[in-house]
Amino acid sequence: MSAENDPAQRVAIGISFGNSYSSIGFTTGEGRAEVIANEDGDRQIPSVLSYVEGEELHGGQAKTQFVRNAKNTVAYFRDFLGQEFKSIDATPCHESAHPLQHESTIAFKVKDSAEDEENEVTVSDITTRHLKRLRNSAAYYLGKEVNAAVITVPTNFSDAQKEALNKAAKEAGIEVLQFIHEPVAAVLAYDARPEAKLADKIVVVADLGGTRSDVAVVASRGGIYTILATLHDYEVTGLKLDQVLIDYFAKEFLKKHKSASDPREDARGLAKLKLECESVKKALSIGTSANFSVESLVGGIDYTATINRTRYDLLGNKLFSAFSRLVLHAVEKAQLDPLDITEVILAGGNAHTPKIASTIANAFPETTTVLAPSTSTTAINPSELSVRGASIQASLIQEFELEDIEQSTHPMVTVTPHLSHAVGVLCISGDETNGVFHAIVDAETPLPVRRTAIISTPREGGDVLIKLAEGLRHIKVTKPEPKAKKEKAEDDSDDSDDDESDEEEELREKTWKVSNVLSEAAIKGVKKGGKVEVQINIGADLGVNAIYREVGGKGGVRGIIAGEKAANGSA
Amino acid sequence: MTSAQVQINLPLPVLPAGWTAEKDFKPVGSLSHAIDRNIEPVGPHFLAHARRKRHKRTFSEDDR
Ligand SMILES: Nc1ncnc2c1ncn2[C@@H]1O[C@H](COP(=O)(O)OP(=O)(O)OP(=O)(O)O)[C@@H](O)[C@H]1O
Ligand SMILES: [Mg+2]
Repeated sequence: MSAENDPAQRVAIGISFGNSYSSIGFTTGEGRAEVIANEDGDRQIPSVLSYVEGEELHGGQAKTQFVRNAKNTVAYFRDFLGQEFKSIDATPCHESAHPLQHESTIAFKVKDSAEDEENEVTVSDITTRHLKRLRNSAAYYLGKEVNAAVITVPTNFSDAQKEALNKAAKEAGIEVLQFIHEPVAAVLAYDARPEAKLADKIVVVADLGGTRSDVAVVASRGGIYTILATLHDYEVTGLKLDQVLIDYFAKEFLKKHKSASDPREDARGLAKLKLECESVKKALSIGTSANFSVESLVGGIDYTATINRTRYDLLGNKLFSAFSRLVLHAVEKAQLDPLDITEVILAGGNAHTPKIASTIANAFPETTTVLAPSTSTTAINPSELSVRGASIQASLIQEFELEDIEQSTHPMVTVTPHLSHAVGVLCISGDETNGVFHAIVDAETPLPVRRTAIISTPREGGDVLIKLAEGLRHIKVTKPEPKAKKEKAEDDSDDSDDDESDEEEELREKTWKVSNVLSEAAIKGVKKGGKVEVQINIGADLGVNAIYREVGGKGGVRGIIAGEKAANGSA
Repeated sequence: MTSAQVQINLPLPVLPAGWTAEKDFKPVGSLSHAIDRNIEPVGPHFLAHARRKRHKRTFSEDDR
């Protein structure tokens, strides 16, 4: 076994590698995830490399080269890994080195050596160089060599893409312990906080990046995560928001300088606009106004201007709604209702934008928590969620043999039967039409599962019935009473197109319908004010083993409900 | 962290008069079919799941 493959010799970090930005992190001895700043002080390190007379610039320094050295600057390349040239969208690379076909892979033509000649550098090599820089920054910060990592990838990253990334990482001296899905890393980042409670919930992760937006609906059951639906969009993105600002400032510039040419039609002018507009966008996430200032935007004319948040909110309005539609669409794809969503985690850089967060929050009921800097004081920096999750996972598995990790992530272990309906008890009445169903184990819970419920009893105690059943979640819609028409016409005669919003909204509630009774049990002689404990064990074969007892009481009742197969067999 | 405990504040129904069952338990139906899905191999609770599955252990064996 080589030294770096020996778990005892491992120093593992978490890496989030995006098309726009990358981050590195590690978990401290106390189990806290920390994001590492590189030598420039950046925690969001642009995934950009640039070559100037043989010198390699990386990150923020490389990014500024978009203006003067665009052709030798490589950016937005992650998604090209492991892909064929014909299947990629090169649009984000328009203002930097263009991807081109190179044998069966993709390369960039750059002058990356001191000689004045162009070399074709494959996307794999570019990735290796980028990862090396990240690895070095981490090593510099930690004061020791780094040789392993957990890296986050989108949920639609193909096996070929993962394989290419794995190889590129190996070339960079990084043993990839595991690839984990970006949205799952985000959920883990939140769940790993000391104050987090283990609860069953449905979480939507909306990762709003520079070149893509990814939404995942995740069932979180006892700390185990199952992705129910995903959605990927390459149109509703951070770059599109930048474009809104680019167009705005270009037009303002042209208004002021009537004879000047359009900066968007000048390569350097456009590059300057892009960089400055991204900064303006970021500034508008914290401040209520931001300054735009570029020297020699076009034709030697300096241009400064300000924009306030209200204006920006107006300009971006259509895109903000589009972000919110994406999130709702993912919920629909999971065949769920917004009322089913416990939390929306906003991840990715654009989640900092207050209007995006508030537009999404408005699309969900008040019972849904939206975790973004502007909607929640306890939100984690959305730009750091992926890398934090990766860092935590790295610390969890860094002592394992690679073979062990591979076995545990094999479908033999991960493919698991999930409950199709909630299982719970009937309260108040044992009659299915009057009783109130209360779930003990939710739908989409992986099996086997064990859950315990503590249930109240009637005021006087006595003999109680415990009826286990499956419950179907039902959305009850109550239409408001129609208002008297005449009254309305009189008091708002001057607003014409407003009748829609005048109507009271229908009331939507989450309720349960009992679909299938599983068993009945009795606990007799419960004392006044007593409680009953029900423990349910459901096996992978759908067999149920239940234990009922009065809390603090003696004895108890045990019952077995045969699984489907067994039940059919005995019938 | 142990498995989540559910608190239910609505009261259980009173046992109907004349209800009887051997050992006070009566199976009535069985669970609907399950759906096979992939769980994400991430986080501490997954690791516990993987351990149980690979070593064919139950929750209570796990508790010991
Ligand atoms: N504070 C901020 N306010 C608003 N937008 C921001 C902020 N910080 C970063 N962004 C934007 O977020 C986007 C980058 O998102 P992220 O860091 O998640 O990158 P990524 O995962 O590499 O993106 P992708 O792979 O989609 O290109 C950029 O459009 C950037 O301008
Ligand atoms: Mg991303």
